[in-house]
Amino acid sequence: MSETNPSKKGRLAIEAHNLSCYYGDFRAVKNVDLDIKEHAITALIGPSGCGKSTVLRAFNRMNDLIPVAHAEGEVLFHGANIYEKNVDPVEIRRRIGMVFQKPNPFPKSIYDNVAWGAKINGFKGSKQDMDQLVEESLRDAAIWDEVKDKLDQSGLSLSGGQQQRLCIARTIAVKPEIILMDEPASALDPISTLRIEELIQELKRNYTIVIVTHNMQQAARASDYTAFFNMGEDRAGYLVEYNDTEAIFTSPAAELTEQYITGRFG
Amino acid sequence: MIDDQYVQRKVEKDFADFYPANEDMHAQISGRRSRGKLFFWVFLVATMVAIIALLTLLVTIINQSFGLVAEQVVVPEETLVTDFNKTRVTNATNVVESGEDDQALAEGIAADPYGAGFFGHAFYTENQETLHALSIGGVAPTEENVLSGQYPGTRPLFIYSAAEILEEKPQVAAFLAYYLQNLEVVSEIGYFAADEEALAQQQEAIFEALGVDELPQINPADYEGDISVSGSSTVFPVTTAMAEKFKEDGFKGEIQVESTGTGGGFSAFCTGSEGIDIVDASRHVDTIEFEACRGAGLDLNEYLIGQDAVVAVVSSQNDFVTDVSREDAESLFTDAVTWADVNESWPAENITRHIPTADSGTMDFFVRSLFDEQTLLDLPYYALVDIYSSNVTIGRCRAVEREKRFYLDQLVCDSPEAFATACAGDNPPGGCTEETRTHDDLELMIAAEIIQPTVLESWFLYPSIFNRQEIALEAATKYPNAHLKFKSWLSWDFITSPQSSQPEIAGVRTAILGSLWVVFIAILVAFPLGVAAALYLEEYADPRKRFNQVIQTNINNLAGVPSIIYGMLGLAVFVRFLEPITSGALFGTVEAGTTANGRTVLSAGLTLGLLGLPIVIIAAQEAIKAVPPSLREASMGLGATKWQTIWNHVLPNAIPGILTGTILTMSRVIGETAPLVVVGASTFITSDPTSPFSKFTTLPAQVYQWTTRPQDTFRNIAGAAIIVLLILLLALNAAAIYLRNHFSKRFA
Repeated sequence: MSETNPSKKGRLAIEAHNLSCYYGDFRAVKNVDLDIKEHAITALIGPSGCGKSTVLRAFNRMNDLIPVAHAEGEVLFHGANIYEKNVDPVEIRRRIGMVFQKPNPFPKSIYDNVAWGAKINGFKGSKQDMDQLVEESLRDAAIWDEVKDKLDQSGLSLSGGQQQRLCIARTIAVKPEIILMDEPASALDPISTLRIEELIQELKRNYTIVIVTHNMQQAARASDYTAFFNMGEDRAGYLVEYNDTEAIFTSPAAELTEQYITGRFG
Repeated sequence: MIDDQYVQRKVEKDFADFYPANEDMHAQISGRRSRGKLFFWVFLVATMVAIIALLTLLVTIINQSFGLVAEQVVVPEETLVTDFNKTRVTNATNVVESGEDDQALAEGIAADPYGAGFFGHAFYTENQETLHALSIGGVAPTEENVLSGQYPGTRPLFIYSAAEILEEKPQVAAFLAYYLQNLEVVSEIGYFAADEEALAQQQEAIFEALGVDELPQINPADYEGDISVSGSSTVFPVTTAMAEKFKEDGFKGEIQVESTGTGGGFSAFCTGSEGIDIVDASRHVDTIEFEACRGAGLDLNEYLIGQDAVVAVVSSQNDFVTDVSREDAESLFTDAVTWADVNESWPAENITRHIPTADSGTMDFFVRSLFDEQTLLDLPYYALVDIYSSNVTIGRCRAVEREKRFYLDQLVCDSPEAFATACAGDNPPGGCTEETRTHDDLELMIAAEIIQPTVLESWFLYPSIFNRQEIALEAATKYPNAHLKFKSWLSWDFITSPQSSQPEIAGVRTAILGSLWVVFIAILVAFPLGVAAALYLEEYADPRKRFNQVIQTNINNLAGVPSIIYGMLGLAVFVRFLEPITSGALFGTVEAGTTANGRTVLSAGLTLGLLGLPIVIIAAQEAIKAVPPSLREASMGLGATKWQTIWNHVLPNAIPGILTGTILTMSRVIGETAPLVVVGASTFITSDPTSPFSKFTTLPAQVYQWTTRPQDTFRNIAGAAIIVLLILLLALNAAAIYLRNHFSKRFA
C-alpha cells in the first residue's frame, strides 16, 4: 500500500484512521488513512466502484441512512471520533455539510430552500437577519443575481446548474465547517461545471472542501490535494496514494496512479 | 492482452450472419408487430366489455328510477286546497247566502252599492243594466275575452268522439252534427256557445270524420239505434238538453247521458267496455288519455262547444270599482272587511258578499279559478293544521299533538286537562317540551295520511317510452280511477323525506345522514391511524426484523379479508364488549326512548374505520416510498432530525398519494352493506341520526332492505336511492380530489 500523506502545513479538519466501511457483510472500503487539511480543497478520484463516495459519506455519517451500512475505524473531527456512541450524527451533519451528485432542491420556494436549514437549526435572528442570511448565502453561491427577483418561485423552476448552486447556498447557509461534495458537477453541462469550479475556489477561503470527482481535469484544475482510490481484488476500495495535487499529476509515486491519470485504465 | 484463440473464433463465426437479413428481416419485424396487434385487439375488447358492463349497470338503475305510474289518491290535493279556500270565501264577513237562486243573488247585489258577488257569465249578461262586471287583472269579461279564455274563471267545454265510432254508428255521427248545428242550447243552459269562427275551424275535422264536403241538414227521424254519452258534469246539462231536443225532432233510438266526470268519461270511452260513443269534457284530453285511446284503436277528435265563465260583479250603483288585480280579488272575497281594506282609495264601508252555497258548482269553479294553481305549499300554516285536524280521527290528532304540538299557545285536538296530565308524568311526551311542528312536517303528514297517494302499478323507463299506448290502455282498463303519470322516483322530496313504509312518500334523508356520519367517523379513525402506522413501518421499523415482516404481511392480508368478518368483529368488540362506550352510556348521553344499545353510528363508524385501515396504510406506505431518497438526504445533510425530515418533506410529498388512498377507502366504506347489517344498521328508522350514539341506517343498507320487499314500487325507490348513493360518492370523491390537487400544487 503506497500512500503518502502530504506535507504538514495547515491544520487538519478530518483525520480518518484505518477506516473500513461495510454494506451488510460486504466490505466496500478498507483501511483508509486520510487527513483532510483545513481551508483547502481535497479531491477524491478513482475508477467506478472504488469507494470514494462511500468514504466521503463516512465523513458526516451520511451512510447511517442506509440501514445495513456500518463503519469500523476512526474518523476524528476536532480530535473526537464521530463514530463514538455518544456522538449525535445530526450534530455532525449540521457541522459537516454535503452537496450531492444530482441537484436536489426542496420543492419549496428559493427563499425557503435557503432559509429552511437555518430555521430547523435554531437560527435566532429576526426576519431581517434571515433575509440577509439568505441573500449572503445566495451571493456566496454566486446565484443571487439570477434569482433575486424570483425568490418566491419554486427551487425546481431553475436550471440544473442553478439548482446545484442553490443547493450549495442552502448548505453554506447553516455555516458548516466542512463541505463535502459528491461529484457536484457530473450532472451538469460544461459551462455550469466551470461556474461550480470557480465557486468552489471562492468557498475555499471560508470552508474546508472535500470533493469527489470522476473528472481528472477537474481534480487537477480545482484541488489542492488529491487522493487516489482503487478497487482491490476483493472488490473493496482502498487508498492508493494521497499527495499535493501537483505531485499526483506530475510525479505519481504509484504505478497504478500514473496509469489512471494517463487514462490507461478506469 | 491479445488472445489469439479469441481472434481465431471471431473469424470463424460472424454473429451478424445469425440474424435474418433483407426480406427475412422485414418478415420477422412484421411478425413481431402483428403479435402486438393481436394484443391491441384483446385490450380493446376488454375495455369495451368494461364500458358495456358499466353502461348496462347505469341503464338498469335509470330504468328503475323513472317511468309511468298509475297513481290513485284518497283525496286529491287540489280538493283540499279548494275546500280550504271555499271556507275562506264562505266564512268571510257580511255574507249573504242566496242558495242556487241566481235571480235573488243578482237582485241583492244590484240593490247594494257596497255589495259584491259572482255568478255565471250568461246570467250577468241578462242583468247588465243593474250590475257591473269587474275586470280582473286588467282583463274585462267581454264575450271575446271569455271565449278566448283570457278572462280568469273561464274553461272550455268539449265533446269528444272518434272517427272509428262515427263510421260504425251513423246515429252517433248524426247526433254530433246535430249538436254542432244547434249550439244555441249551450247558451240556453247558461254557458257561452262556441262562436262561428271556432266552429268553422272544426268543420274540417268533422267533414273528414263523416266523409262529406259540407255538414248535411240532419233529420233525426232518419236515424235509429242507441247513443251513449258520458263525462263532465258541467257539460252534462247541455248534452241532456240536446238529447231531448234530438228526440223531440224524431230520433227513434235511446240516448243515455251520464255524469261521471271528465276523467271517468275518457277512461270508459277508451277501454270500450261500456260502449260509450261520446265523451263530455270540461278540459282538454291529456296526452296519456289520448294515447290510451289510440292504443285501443280510437283516434280522439275534439269539438269545442262553448265556454263556461264566472264573473265577479258589483252593483251598477257602485262608482269606485272597475278593475281589480288578482290579489285584490282574492282579498275582496275572503279576508277584507271594508272596501278600504282592499284598496285604500275606496270607501271604508263594509263589503256585503252575495255568494252561492258552498256546494254549488259555481262556487267550486269560482274558487278554483281565483286561487289558480295553489298547492299545499302556498297555504298558511294554520290552514294546514285545519286541514289535518279535520281530516284525521280525533284520536290520531291527539296522539300527534302529544308527540309534538301544532301551536305553542293553543291545543287543537287535545283537551288542556288531558294534556296537562300527560305532561305531569315521569316521562312526558315530546309535545310537552319540544318546539312546534313545521310547515314541511305538516305537508308530509297530510300527504301521508290524507292525500295518501298510492301507486297501484309502476312501469320501468324503457317500456314507459316505447310502449306508452299499451300501458295507457292497460292502466285505463285495470285502474279506471287512477291517474297515469310520468314519475321520477328520484326527486328533491325523495332526498329530503325520511324513511316511510309507503314507497310513494318514502325518502332517503335518514340514510344519507347515516351514511355521512358513518363515513365521517370511519375516516376519522382510518386516516390518522393509517398514516401513523404507515410512517412507522416505512420510516422507523427495520424491515429485516421478523416482527415487522409479520406485521407487514398481516396488513397486506387484512386488506383482502371479506368485509362480513369486520362486521362480526364490530359486533363482538364495539357493539357487545364496548357497549358502555358505543351506546354513550358512559358519557350519560343515551338518547331517550332509543333501543340502540351498542348498535350506533359510532360502532358502525369504528367497524368501517378498521375495514378501511389496511387500505389507507398500504396506500400511505406506497406514497411514502415514492418520496425520492434525494429529498431525505438533502434534509438530513442540512442537519435535520428524522422527525423534521418526515414532517417537512416526507409527509407533504406523500400527502397526494395518501389522499388518493383515502378516497379509495371512502368509496369502499360508503358502499359497504354486509358489515353494517351485522353490526346492526336499523332496517327501519325515521329519525335522523343526531349524534355518534344514534341508531342509524345507511344508503346501501336502505337499498338492500328495499330490494327485499315484495312490492314493485320499492324496487323503483331502491333504484333512485342507488343514484343518490352514486351522486353522494361522486361528490365526496370530488371534494377529496380537489383537496389532493390543492396539496399537490402547494408542494410542487
